[in-house]
Amino acid sequence: MKLIAKKDVAAVVGTWSKTYSVLSPCMHASGDCVFDSFDAETFTLEYRKPPMPPKSSFLPQNETMFSVENGTFTPVIHHEKTLLFGIRACDLMGILQARSFYSRDMDDVYHRSHAEDTLIVVHACSWPQNETCFCTTVHSGPYAHEGFDIQLFDMGTDFLAEAGSDAGRAMIATEPFRDFDVEDAAERLSRVKHMAHNSIPIVSEVAEAMDILKGTGTNEGVWEHLGRKCITCGGCVYVCPTCTCFNVVDRVTADASGERMRTWDTCLYAGFTREASGHNPRSSQASRLRRRHEHKLLHYSQTDNRGALCGCVGCGRCSDYCPVHIGTLEVVKAIAEHIY
Amino acid sequence: MAGLAAAFGSGAMTNSINEFDDADLFFIIGSNTTAQHPLIGSRIINAVERGSKLILFDPREIPLAQFATLHLRQNFGTDVALLNGIMNIIIQEDLHDRLYVEGRTEGFEELKKLVGRYTPKVVEQITGIRSSELYRAAVMYAQADKAMIIYAMGITQHVTGTDNVKTLANLAMLTGHVGRPSTGVNPLRGQNNVQGACDMGGLPGVFTGYQRVGDPAAVKKFEDAWSVSGLNTKGGLTITGMMEAAHKGTLKAMYIMGENPLVSDPDITHVEQALSNLDFLVVQDIFLSDTAALADVVLPAASFAEKEGTYSNTERRVQLARAAVPPPGQARSDWEIIAGLCSRLGLAADYRGPADIMKEINALTPSYGGITYSRLSAGHGLQWPCPNVDHPGTVFLHREQFTKGKGSFLPCEFKPAAETPDDEYDFTLTTGRIYFQYHTGTMTRRIDLLEREAPEPLVEINPEDAKKLGIRSNDLVELESRRGSIQLKAEVTPRVPKRVLFTTFHFREAPVNRLTNSAFDPVAEIPELKGCSVKIRRCS
Repeated sequence: MKLIAKKDVAAVVGTWSKTYSVLSPCMHASGDCVFDSFDAETFTLEYRKPPMPPKSSFLPQNETMFSVENGTFTPVIHHEKTLLFGIRACDLMGILQARSFYSRDMDDVYHRSHAEDTLIVVHACSWPQNETCFCTTVHSGPYAHEGFDIQLFDMGTDFLAEAGSDAGRAMIATEPFRDFDVEDAAERLSRVKHMAHNSIPIVSEVAEAMDILKGTGTNEGVWEHLGRKCITCGGCVYVCPTCTCFNVVDRVTADASGERMRTWDTCLYAGFTREASGHNPRSSQASRLRRRHEHKLLHYSQTDNRGALCGCVGCGRCSDYCPVHIGTLEVVKAIAEHIY
Repeated sequence: MAGLAAAFGSGAMTNSINEFDDADLFFIIGSNTTAQHPLIGSRIINAVERGSKLILFDPREIPLAQFATLHLRQNFGTDVALLNGIMNIIIQEDLHDRLYVEGRTEGFEELKKLVGRYTPKVVEQITGIRSSELYRAAVMYAQADKAMIIYAMGITQHVTGTDNVKTLANLAMLTGHVGRPSTGVNPLRGQNNVQGACDMGGLPGVFTGYQRVGDPAAVKKFEDAWSVSGLNTKGGLTITGMMEAAHKGTLKAMYIMGENPLVSDPDITHVEQALSNLDFLVVQDIFLSDTAALADVVLPAASFAEKEGTYSNTERRVQLARAAVPPPGQARSDWEIIAGLCSRLGLAADYRGPADIMKEINALTPSYGGITYSRLSAGHGLQWPCPNVDHPGTVFLHREQFTKGKGSFLPCEFKPAAETPDDEYDFTLTTGRIYFQYHTGTMTRRIDLLEREAPEPLVEINPEDAKKLGIRSNDLVELESRRGSIQLKAEVTPRVPKRVLFTTFHFREAPVNRLTNSAFDPVAEIPELKGCSVKIRRCS
């Protein structure tokens, strides 16, 4: 295990940015913090949960899959050495679940190439980012068990750096990283982990709602109530680390030329399931909301879970951002408490 | 805008978006809020879930109807009668705010006299709303502590648009529901910068900040600032007036920016004739719209992501946006195009950038005096009026007194719509917007996901009417008015009342404005896009 002084971190990330395209937390003058290309001026370690998960590094909002010029097809696979600095354990779990999904039954070459090109530095949480965090409930945090290259733990003025891969080990082998060679290193780390874990309350309604869904199912009234007030913005899907559905479209630029692209999509839009005849098996917003939440809480794949409880990684963003409060936290509560 | 300015002295939304959270009652008329202002609609839904009341007036069963304490479906074009009827009940029941009326307003006696004629019985005949329900609405609104009136184009796009707005202002003043937090009269502006365009003098009779071109002091100020003399002191033409003048041949050239009147204006056959009658047409837009395709010169403009500048939103909040990517090809920011044109016409317009232009706005526009770039960079915008750099901006208007001093009651008589159904054109067609498309679709129809959600125009027809006419959902139907006809598919739904049809103006392949009436409000000259008479038949 290694240590690095917090004051040295920006310089190290700056060095990495010469080799990699680094996405790291930036604090804007307005007080908003987002993950963006590394910039020494705005780089910060004092950040909370960023509004968006890092899924666009693996599944860009719009991505060209192949281009056609005068009838000739050329695959378009982007390669860019990327480093994600400072993502949280829940978001890493989102990446791992999506990676499993995109490689389980078939090899999604686009997703794989992004994954192969990307190094991940996790910043383990010492406390909840805000009141909607529930990673401890779904076993996705506050620290990661696998899938990272480096994981940083907050030890006051220093970070403790744990390598999770050969690449990560090489990156922390030199100055300003230094050995953490005290006798009780493991014990201290375990204490930090323990405190972090205990600081994030368990949301018992998640498991209760999952049990109800697996058993008798929930009262239709829950979905009808939520469906009535959903404004169909799709925001919950776009901010979700594990929502990775896409739509495929052709952009014709000239005769016999153009691009085939994929773009983010959402199962909350009617057109997602509408058939060519016009018939829609998910014809109401209630049924579409039900589909989305049951996908996370009931119809998930054990293989894709990667050690988490279900297909939700507990980041809480849907509860943070839904304008009418239909986040996972509100949904499990409505199901578990039989509110409607 | 004209109606509110006459009553209060300012035509903008009186209160702010955050204040929706604390309102006890929403009085919504002529706004499909969840579809057109979904984030404001969300606040209304949340407030109703916490116990706030919602009175909704809309002939259609819009999504908010499911949350309404009271949903009243008035006959098309009868808003003035409806609101006068409500005020009559409030005065009869002594529910008006006497102290407020005496202290802060003028013209109450005239109002009382006029609305006295709108008895519940009369109003029921005109609007179709039962007296008992009108009574409930009147009492609920008058007795609420914090009540917000919310409206949009459903109020303004009528030949009586200005009267509708004045009458809403009368109602708010009568009950003292203006000048306090979570109250007021709140027109929701449709585009991200339509408020800003008005604020910057994008109206025929004003300079920036609504300083009148007929005011010698204002003229002198602008002449000095621009080192010119002889500025025109008469107002220009409205869009409606310009089209009429072009049609007559008295207007020879037109310069259109970011507007597609060939799809969005009423009676587009008339618009086509007017535009082709011009000697010279310039269109500045980000895509080649139908209107741009007619132009002699097209000036390619930068999109929102490709330029720097400010937007002023519905709550009078000025916000700064930076360019994220450079504009493609020869496209330039609007200000660069206009400044370039000015220079070639012999007027020095040597601004170094938008920040420079903002300095001029600060210097010449009292309400924008303190809205500087440095302040905007450091936060999330400032709400005008903000007269100096130490001023925090204004959350709600008319706190101690109205902008014009005392608020004026401006009583209006009910006047029917310009076109009402008859034996031949026996349906009222009303037009509006849907969630997934925006205006004439020049932008949203290029976005595959939105186009998948709403790929074609549909006309809503009530099941009883549909049955009589043998029309089923997805049947192709023809709509015909006195001005033209279009074909589109039907959607049979109780969302519309009997004898009313609804469709949108987003789709150029079935342009509803072939049908609409160019009759307009005499003050604001806004056309009656919300209703015209048509007949409908199933295509064989």
